[in-house]
This record gives sequence, structure tokens and C-alpha cells, in this order.
Amino acid sequence: MKLSSIINKDCSKAAVLFNSKKRILEYVSELAHEQLPQLEQHHILSALMNREKLGSTGIGKGIALPHGRMEGIEQVFAILLVSEQTIPFDAIDNRPVDIFVALIVPEGDNQQHLKTLSAIADKLKNKEFCKQLRHASSDSELYNIIAAQD
Amino acid sequence: MRCEGTFLIQNKCGLHARAATVLAQLAVKFDADITLYQDEKEAAGDSVLALLLLESSQGKYVKIRCEGPDAKSALSAIGDLIEQKFHEQE
Repeated sequence: MKLSSIINKDCSKAAVLFNSKKRILEYVSELAHEQLPQLEQHHILSALMNREKLGSTGIGKGIALPHGRMEGIEQVFAILLVSEQTIPFDAIDNRPVDIFVALIVPEGDNQQHLKTLSAIADKLKNKEFCKQLRHASSDSELYNIIAAQD
Repeated sequence: MRCEGTFLIQNKCGLHARAATVLAQLAVKFDADITLYQDEKEAAGDSVLALLLLESSQGKYVKIRCEGPDAKSALSAIGDLIEQKFHEQE
């Protein structure tokens, strides 16, 4: 699976300026609602926040995969945010996070969800790729890095 | 010490992000190198990213190999976690 097939240009944001988990998730929900207007923003935010309550999606190495399952969508939708400053996220390694791959996931499709997670992990395991993401100075540059990696 | 075992992924969601995180959090508690194998893929037990790459879904078998002073207890604890469906309801 290509990352560029689930993250579009309008949902690749470089050097964003937020300082808390809540604010970054609110921003994710704003962007997701713009792209998926059939979903209410507060529902998206609730899904993301509820997932975090079950345990942080900060998976280590400065990376988090916040996600929420939603009815009303057919396929997974992803947003890539790179924060200018690291944000405390209760991650597994206690490191603050600056790379966020947020996912809005259709209810039910577990097999496809595992494929999506695997495809994302396959890219993010590459330290050089993560370094490039962190150094992207514009949204278009960030998107081009993803597209080039595919 | 070195030991290994094979376990069936039973929970509905498979080795998704939360399950992988719980497994990795457990793995780091032991003085052992823990590796999971599925098909031709392998993953360090303490790396969520690596575990997600396994794409282990319900019905898949994963082999776990543990090496180190805590190998036996690590294998037992991780095996229990998988068999208890990562504490998930289904």
C-alpha cells in the first residue's frame, strides 16, 4: 500500500505548532472533518480521544498513530502531521512525539486495518525517512517526501 | 537460556496497535531478547513498529523465541497475553 494513496496533499502538514495531545487531536479532527464532511468533527475528536484513553498511541521513537474507528466511511483516511516541537504524548518509551500519522478507520475491517498499520510501519521504520519528514519545511515538501518514498 | 513457543492469535483485531503496544510493554520487563516470527517475517518484541509489520491477524500463528536469563518467564508471560486475547473482549 502506498502512503500517498491514503494521505492527500491537504492532509500533510509540516512544522505544525501545537503543544498538547488535546490540541493536536483537535487539529486532526478539524482536518478530517474538512475532508470527510459527512463525519461530525466532535465525533471524530471523541473517537480519537477515546482511543487514547485505552492507552497512548505513541509507539516510540517520537512517533504516534492516533486513530479512531468511525461509521460512515468506506476506506481508511490518514493525516500526516509533523510538529515543530515535540509534544508530550505518554508514549511507550516516554519520549515526546513529533511525527503523527492519524487514521480514521472504517468500523469492522480488521484485516485491512492491519495492512494499513503494516504499510505505515514499513515506512516509519526507516530512520532516514523519519529524518526527512522532520526536516520538511513546507506542506508540499512533506507530501513530496511521502510520494517519493512510495 | 533460550526457549520458544508458537501461539495462535485469537483476538478479533489481531496484533493491532494497542495489542502490539501491550506486548512491547510486557517484553521490556524481561531480561531477554524476544523475537516474534510469522511466515517469513520477524520482529523484535519490544518494538511496536516491528510488531505492526508482522500484520498478524486472527487465526495466524506466531512463533516466539526468547533468549536471556528471563527467557522462560518472558515466553510464558507473552504466551499468556496472546492466549488471553491481549485482554480484549473478542
